[in-house]
Amino acid sequence: MSSRQVLLSAAAIALLAPLAVPAPAAEPSQGAVAPAAPSSDAAESAATATPIKHLVVIFQENVSFDHYFATYPNATNPPGEPAFAAAPNTPAVNNLAKANLLKNNPNFINKANGADAAEPFRLDRTQAATADQNHAYSAEQQAYDAGKNDLFPKYTGKGTPGGVGAFGTKGQVMGYFDGNTVGALWQYAQHFAMSDNMFADSYGPSTPGALNVVSGQTNGMKIVISTKNPSTVSAVGYYVEDGQGGFTMVNDVDPGGDVCSVPKDQAMMSGKNIGDLLNAGSVSWGGFMGGFAFDATNANGSTGCKRSTHSTIVGSDVVDYIAHHNWFQYYASTANPKHDKASSLAAIGSSFEHDGTTRDPANHEYDLKDFYDALKAGNFPAISYIKAPAYQDGHAGYSDPLDEQAAVVDLVNFIEQQPGWKDTAIVITYDDSDGWYDHAFAPVTSASADQADQLNGPGKCGAGAPKPGVEGKPVNGRCGPGTRQPFIVVSPFAKTNYVSHTHTSLASVPRFIEDNWLKGARLGGGSFDAAAGSLMDLFDFKAGGKTAAVYVDPEQGTPLSAPPAGH
Amino acid sequence: MRTRLCLLAALALCAAAATIAAADDTAVPASGENPDPVKLVRREAKPLSAMAQLGKLLFYDTSLSFSGGLSCASCHSPDHAYGPATDKPVVLGGPDLKKEGARAVPSLMYLERQPSFSIGPDNEENENVDLAQAAALGESAVRAQKVATDTAAAGANLVPQGGLFWDGRADTLQQQALFPLLNPLEMAASSIDEVAAKLKNEPYAYRFTQLFGLAVFDDHQMAVTEALFAIGRYQIEEPSFHPYTSKFDYWLEGRARLSEQEMRGYTLFNDPKKANCGGCHLDKPTADGLPPLFTDHQYEALGVPRNAALAANADPAYFDLGICGPYRTDISDQTQYCAMFATPTLRNAATRQVFMHNGVYHTLEQVLDFYDFRDVAPDKIYPRAADGTVLKYDDIPDKYRPNADIADPPFDRHPGDPPAMTAQDEADIIAFLKTLTDGYQPAK
Repeated sequence: MSSRQVLLSAAAIALLAPLAVPAPAAEPSQGAVAPAAPSSDAAESAATATPIKHLVVIFQENVSFDHYFATYPNATNPPGEPAFAAAPNTPAVNNLAKANLLKNNPNFINKANGADAAEPFRLDRTQAATADQNHAYSAEQQAYDAGKNDLFPKYTGKGTPGGVGAFGTKGQVMGYFDGNTVGALWQYAQHFAMSDNMFADSYGPSTPGALNVVSGQTNGMKIVISTKNPSTVSAVGYYVEDGQGGFTMVNDVDPGGDVCSVPKDQAMMSGKNIGDLLNAGSVSWGGFMGGFAFDATNANGSTGCKRSTHSTIVGSDVVDYIAHHNWFQYYASTANPKHDKASSLAAIGSSFEHDGTTRDPANHEYDLKDFYDALKAGNFPAISYIKAPAYQDGHAGYSDPLDEQAAVVDLVNFIEQQPGWKDTAIVITYDDSDGWYDHAFAPVTSASADQADQLNGPGKCGAGAPKPGVEGKPVNGRCGPGTRQPFIVVSPFAKTNYVSHTHTSLASVPRFIEDNWLKGARLGGGSFDAAAGSLMDLFDFKAGGKTAAVYVDPEQGTPLSAPPAGH
Repeated sequence: MRTRLCLLAALALCAAAATIAAADDTAVPASGENPDPVKLVRREAKPLSAMAQLGKLLFYDTSLSFSGGLSCASCHSPDHAYGPATDKPVVLGGPDLKKEGARAVPSLMYLERQPSFSIGPDNEENENVDLAQAAALGESAVRAQKVATDTAAAGANLVPQGGLFWDGRADTLQQQALFPLLNPLEMAASSIDEVAAKLKNEPYAYRFTQLFGLAVFDDHQMAVTEALFAIGRYQIEEPSFHPYTSKFDYWLEGRARLSEQEMRGYTLFNDPKKANCGGCHLDKPTADGLPPLFTDHQYEALGVPRNAALAANADPAYFDLGICGPYRTDISDQTQYCAMFATPTLRNAATRQVFMHNGVYHTLEQVLDFYDFRDVAPDKIYPRAADGTVLKYDDIPDKYRPNADIADPPFDRHPGDPPAMTAQDEADIIAFLKTLTDGYQPAK
């Protein structure tokens, strides 16, 4: 998806090819969530299977597990950088250090990588701004090479240059950060619980990951408007034919009708997502994204779809809202294509305005600022999916680990000081790996035999019948599990300095929501939720929720002795 | 037809705006103060990181060159705005320090916000358009004229922009630093392996292992890449590469007054009917409050005269075509960009002794004369052939001469038209350009 691209603004494309795109018809969802009473935390009274009453999913971008945890818990600690020292008895994690892959790595030994063959290497804090790697559906499968994980430099090691101060090298895909750069995440791992066995449900970039974390399903894609053909190894597109007359999304495409989508390539999804189930169960929820509010104006005067923020680290202005990251916007029942505002802070999380009968215009889609404002007003939805503004989402090329850390820490520090913290679980995880090297491989459980599949040779991913799609028949295009990504739970109920080895996936998130709030209801339609691993190993509900909050310095990534000032 | 009408309408608006702007400028108080001061955002000064300290050692290390006589700082002199210390059009290098470089040495200052090379505005979040596709779109797109009073429209033009070097062939400072190191006309290192071997034996080699691990020198390519990144990081962190301490910066902030002559020059600089410098050399702070860079990062075929002082130009078949070669090779098939070169910043330009990509000019007067007379009196700019005809655009092959900019003022004039500037105008503009030199001490 990204071999040395030179890029064109959406505005320029719009100028050249103005195309009217019909907004998706608003479909009434099944069930709905009534608004909260003013200044009360309605989520506290919802019936749940565990003591958890609030789940906050901080959904970041494009990091493989080894990219951030290759040497955990040991950091290099060069002079002048924030140092990291591991707590005694820190458990071992399945990383490059433990697997003894920092030297004589198969990506260095395999001659097929050519001049780009490289050993894993440390990326310094000053190298936080890096080039972006290739993270397309087919390229990732080629890099994983039937589980040998030895062709990353050849297949995913080519990306965009990044900013003028960015670091780029041959074999850069083998680079990893340590606790001198991603200190906050290492601190959270020390004080709370982390999984070293969480995989994307299928290979591919952002949009498939965003769909899986809310629905466990990438089949059932409907083209709204398209310039692309089905994806192949040589001509990357965003979908494949599923073999049953429908389509499965395998790469990025903007959601249909979103006012910020590029005009010529848009798609929608026909299955259900967790928002539909939460509406049916009358559980409050929202998707909160940086840059979503249409009427807001940034400090630099930018507004609408063009709101942007200058990152000193990346060295450029970065647009805040990226439409192809917006999980719920792909489903007519949970979309807010015009970015309408909620009628009030009390209505955030609910389907209706305060009168309880008028449908709230936001339809559960909000700006990140609304999350902060709602919590300050005492309205903490049961389920919150959060996407930072792009410069802080962690995606190499236009974001970086240091800008990312500032956003994540700001959120966690803030939530830890809320009354609702006592029964909150914060999940920090990632939509895809960016193509960054990871040594772990999960044997294929979701086979696919489309021309775009490459894991076990041309047109092959695994063996046997593919898993069912939205219509219940086997469909291609869901080759997985895919790449391994970090997954951290910050909660008073999280185990302390614990690493879970239970196999989980992004679809484990909707499964947790279903188990906790919805009596184990499932999405159906071939969703991965039913078979996804449980997150329960990360929690200890017998200890009474006594895991202490940890406040972190957003720039240094080191613990603070006292809670910082409010957001 | 319709497009042309729209463009004409826009131009009329621009002209109206220019009139208003000029009226505003005459209303500037005689005191020379900025009537509307702004707060500029400068980088917070921090101690150099270990990486940048290593980069500094490398930046000044002559032992990395084949001759042992050249470092980065030899051509990018810290005492000369990180540009050349001499008035020679190009610097001598190579194994024997006798080879001429290909182009005038550009300054390394004010590159910390340089965008990557692209056709049209760069946009890292969009991952779906490659260079050839963008160039194809650019061919059919309407190009807005560049006028100092409305730079936003031209900023959206689907034209080449960004990147480093005169031809934009590198995107990052790290990539950039490799070229002079291996260029046989410059530092002339014979290979990556040779450079890596030298690095391993440097007294500061321990800094490499400290930052990159004990195995760093096992992989020569990686060791050199880290060294080049460190050099770029030094340029990013070291404040003297981007201090924003010119008189004009302080004037923007209301901390300095421009003299009457400087103020006249500033007005001429931004007058589309006069010099129109500000059409490309943007002088407004960004919306984020970042100081102006005095470049739009775009490329232009100005058609400056061939420089007979360059040895390479003795070959009449040799042409330096900028974006389409010979040093850049990836888009040489996009011939609509042939003879285009980057628009440099004007910050510290008044300290330079050599101008334009081929170093053909040595004073700002010569540069301004070029803009003044290229179209109205080309005989003052270009040599004549034996038959007496003026050899306009003599450094561009015939077939690429249509690429020359004849749209943006003052290049839209014709022989016999009055020149855009008088001698006094030029003197005033030069007085203004001198306010772009760093190191001014504000009174308050």
